[in-house]
Amino acid sequence: MGGVEDQKMTGGVTRPGWPRVANIIRTVVRIALGGLFVFAGATKAYDPGAFAVEIQRYNLIPWLPGALAAVYLPWLEILVGALLVVKRFDRGALMLITCLLLVFSFALASATVRGLGIDCGCFGKAFAATGTVFPLVRNLLLLAGAGFLWRGYR
Amino acid sequence: MLRDGRAIRQALLILVSALIPAGLTAAFHPQRPAWTEETLAPGEERLPTVLAWGESVLWVDARSADEYRADHVPGAILLNLESWDELLPNFLDQWSPDKKVVVYCSAATCELSHEVAERLRKSGITSVFVLKGGWEAWKTRK
Repeated sequence: MGGVEDQKMTGGVTRPGWPRVANIIRTVVRIALGGLFVFAGATKAYDPGAFAVEIQRYNLIPWLPGALAAVYLPWLEILVGALLVVKRFDRGALMLITCLLLVFSFALASATVRGLGIDCGCFGKAFAATGTVFPLVRNLLLLAGAGFLWRGYR
Repeated sequence: MLRDGRAIRQALLILVSALIPAGLTAAFHPQRPAWTEETLAPGEERLPTVLAWGESVLWVDARSADEYRADHVPGAILLNLESWDELLPNFLDQWSPDKKVVVYCSAATCELSHEVAERLRKSGITSVFVLKGGWEAWKTRK
């Protein structure tokens, strides 16, 4: 643990334990974010037909692209989540997680603005009556978590 | 992030890898989505849409009284063509203009629900819909 590195991170004030604490926080965030994606993907991979209906309710894309997304996205979520947890291909996984969170946030914001009154559908049928505002706030927090992890890769 | 060549290469590999389980899902999953959307007749709605309406729905059971007594959608009102005049007052008691009326009958004879819906519309009731798939759709809901 170099003192110069510590000073860089604390604006010149040395905090000897900070890099270690940051690493622990980073590990916790990485496992939590990855685990959440595995869970979200698994709940939707269980019933892709229902997920296709959830996608359709956003009224953003036609049925066929939505149905294709309903069979593909859950597996992508499982894959990127698992890879982030086990720290293999984790840069690519984190990049995709960030992109997915941005796309999901856009869809949720759009549904909120249009007043569709639908549920997120983020976790299949695991959580009902979620609306779109709470999931949007949660997604923004997850994006902040992903941003924090990116800082560790610099 | 977008200038990280290693991350981009890994991301592309992951995107391609996910196609394998997705392809298997599309081919073999028992609950895979239909690839063509079922078309709705005028005035019809699918169950997920109706369920999303929540408390604003007033269910109308257009089947026979015996079928209604055997089982029905919770809160549904019996209103069929056989006993229209007797059953209509009970419907009107529970209806209000802010309600969305959703009529269903058994899937095999679902013309009945269209006829009941049409008669309600002619009586001046707005927001009347027919449940696509009828009682069968409700029974097999997930």
